[in-house]
Amino acid sequence: MRNFVKISFFMVLLYSQDELLELINDDSKINPTPVQATFKATRIVNSQSIEMPRAGTLEFMILHRFGSMSNGFYDLFGMDEAVIRFDLKYGIGSNFSFGLGRSSLKKTYDIFSKFSILKQKVESGHSPISLVIFSKVEIETQTKDAEFINRLTYDFQLLIARKFTRFFSFQIMPTLIHKNLVESQNNLHDLFSIGTGARMKLSKRISINFDTFIPIGERKVTYQQGWGIGCDIETGGHVFQLMITNSQGAIESAYIENATGGFDNLNLYLGFNITRAFSI
Amino acid sequence: MNRKYLLVFILFPLIARDIYYTRSGTVSFFSATPIEDISAKNNQVTCVLDNDNGQVSFRIPILGFSFKNGLMQEHFNENYMESDIYPNASFKGMINDWDKLILTKESQKIKITGEMTIRGISKEINETGIINKNKKNIIGSADFQIKIADYGIKIPKIVQKNIAEIIDINIEVSLKKK
Repeated sequence: MRNFVKISFFMVLLYSQDELLELINDDSKINPTPVQATFKATRIVNSQSIEMPRAGTLEFMILHRFGSMSNGFYDLFGMDEAVIRFDLKYGIGSNFSFGLGRSSLKKTYDIFSKFSILKQKVESGHSPISLVIFSKVEIETQTKDAEFINRLTYDFQLLIARKFTRFFSFQIMPTLIHKNLVESQNNLHDLFSIGTGARMKLSKRISINFDTFIPIGERKVTYQQGWGIGCDIETGGHVFQLMITNSQGAIESAYIENATGGFDNLNLYLGFNITRAFSI
Repeated sequence: MNRKYLLVFILFPLIARDIYYTRSGTVSFFSATPIEDISAKNNQVTCVLDNDNGQVSFRIPILGFSFKNGLMQEHFNENYMESDIYPNASFKGMINDWDKLILTKESQKIKITGEMTIRGISKEINETGIINKNKKNIIGSADFQIKIADYGIKIPKIVQKNIAEIIDINIEVSLKKK
């Protein structure tokens, strides 16, 4: 009888309520979901991120770059001047987005898309990275009397990103920019580079971001490596991104291949991006 | 007592335990303010009921809540529920007076007492629900409210008017015999 009591006691312990869920725990794992918020916006600072508008979501983005900070208080660190780009993009399904933009820099229109190939998932056996193909055509309309074909610049990028921890994400982006028209015969039509970008969260709604593009192959003498350092602030439906960068243009051919500023004379640019999402 | 008996005694409850369960229960919540209504639904809720003693357990995967607005869903997981740290909410409790209850086709009111855990914070709760039984399944549902501040969920001032302090919860499960 004493044994029986012991065993009963043991059984009670063994099958206490904690085990209730485990009794049916054969394959009850929930559907693996892609990692969320690798980055907060569709841009890291200047560069594209793997994020894109969600299915059925329309995003409006304003990318505003002030003038050079080199004049100091005379024009309040460039605030009197501005180069502005705005775009509208839409998520068609969860793997494809499409958008149109217009930049005041060389009066450039652009058409772009992001196509998601892989999405990072935490569960083992799933992709450890996210992979997005970004492509864009820029149409410069400042020059009068130019043939249409000579106005075009193409951008192709592979965006490979991983959210390492809840605070840190990293992205690497092999990039090709093809210019139909170059300034002289010595300039290349095809320019390769490798971009890197990162996001470090400081608090739930604030992060510090960085990106730069490392050139592969020859560049002209005046070439500067483009970079940007910024800060994301998220407030409900908006994301604000404040930044300092050495490129005034917010289109790929400008911030990757045509950065003009540097630390000499504080020839850098302040700027901000604002993203607003609409569910329609 | 020899070892064979021991084995029988240990295995006996596993075989004989009268368990009802589901992996596709529904939990939805609703936040109503004059500015906006927010709702989300989760169809991946696990619920287990021990028909012998009226013990119930729920496991609610936070990532399973789907919103109409994807951005809200991201904020829900990242900023409010921190689902990467606390992937599940849970409830462990008892249906009161289970031994006196005879389940029929007719819905009956029941009282449930137990411990609700959200974001790692546990609270005793005491709510009422409805239960009935058809040919095969035990069907239960409950409507109740929770105060988000009880579970340490902080709402920033800027969206305080958009998110209700008290959230309506609806639970519906249809449990089949294991």
